[in-house]
Amino acid sequence: MALKISQPEQDEPVIDMAELGARIARRRAELGITDADQPRNSGTRRTASKKALLKAIKDAGGNW
Amino acid sequence: MPTYRPEFIAALRLLARISDAMADRGLTRPVLVGGAAAEFYSTSALATGDFDICVIRQPELEEEMQRVGFIRPSGPGQLTRGWIHPDLKLGFEIVADVPMDGNVDAAHIRLVRPIGDTALFRIISVEDLIADRMGQYASGSAPDRLDQARLLLALHPDADFDYLERRIREESKGEYGVKDITA
Repeated sequence: MALKISQPEQDEPVIDMAELGARIARRRAELGITDADQPRNSGTRRTASKKALLKAIKDAGGNW
Repeated sequence: MPTYRPEFIAALRLLARISDAMADRGLTRPVLVGGAAAEFYSTSALATGDFDICVIRQPELEEEMQRVGFIRPSGPGQLTRGWIHPDLKLGFEIVADVPMDGNVDAAHIRLVRPIGDTALFRIISVEDLIADRMGQYASGSAPDRLDQARLLLALHPDADFDYLERRIREESKGEYGVKDITA
């Protein structure tokens, strides 16, 4: 698909996700941060709608 | 080195396709916020199955979502504002028209090109995301958000600290600042 970008966006910087991911991964390695160190959400702030959506994802076979 | 999960990349490519479709119609792009934004800025391997989105023109966004295969969950106990994509097994939920009650500087909403695509999507800045975490922490209802804010700042030492300080103060009603997550 050709890149389509509106006039006001033409001069706007674009984050390249691959570059950002590599940079963050290097930073994580420098700091010794592993996946096990990632603080999880407690889920206490979830709305009823959010809980229903997460259930629907699970029912669809989602394993996020 | 750990980086993004394939499922997360696929989800953001889908968001970018929808976002480009909105832009092609002359409409404002949706903005990614919440836990998926936190995963984006941390390359976390944590499971984020739902994507919180802000958009001004919700009906048009929902049209575009349906074009790429999103459906409303149906059945008992499925009263949700969200949409699921049965093939990718993920959910999008439109949570507001603008991020953080409109307190975000528009210039700080970023454009992103996802891995393996040319389409673009918008996401709140890491500074606003950190401020959002600190606002939730200050509310007393989410003590886990302090560690998230600290981690995000540690991963982004090039953050705009002036903007970050202002936004944390605003979101925490003056209670916290940058020093509270750098100590």
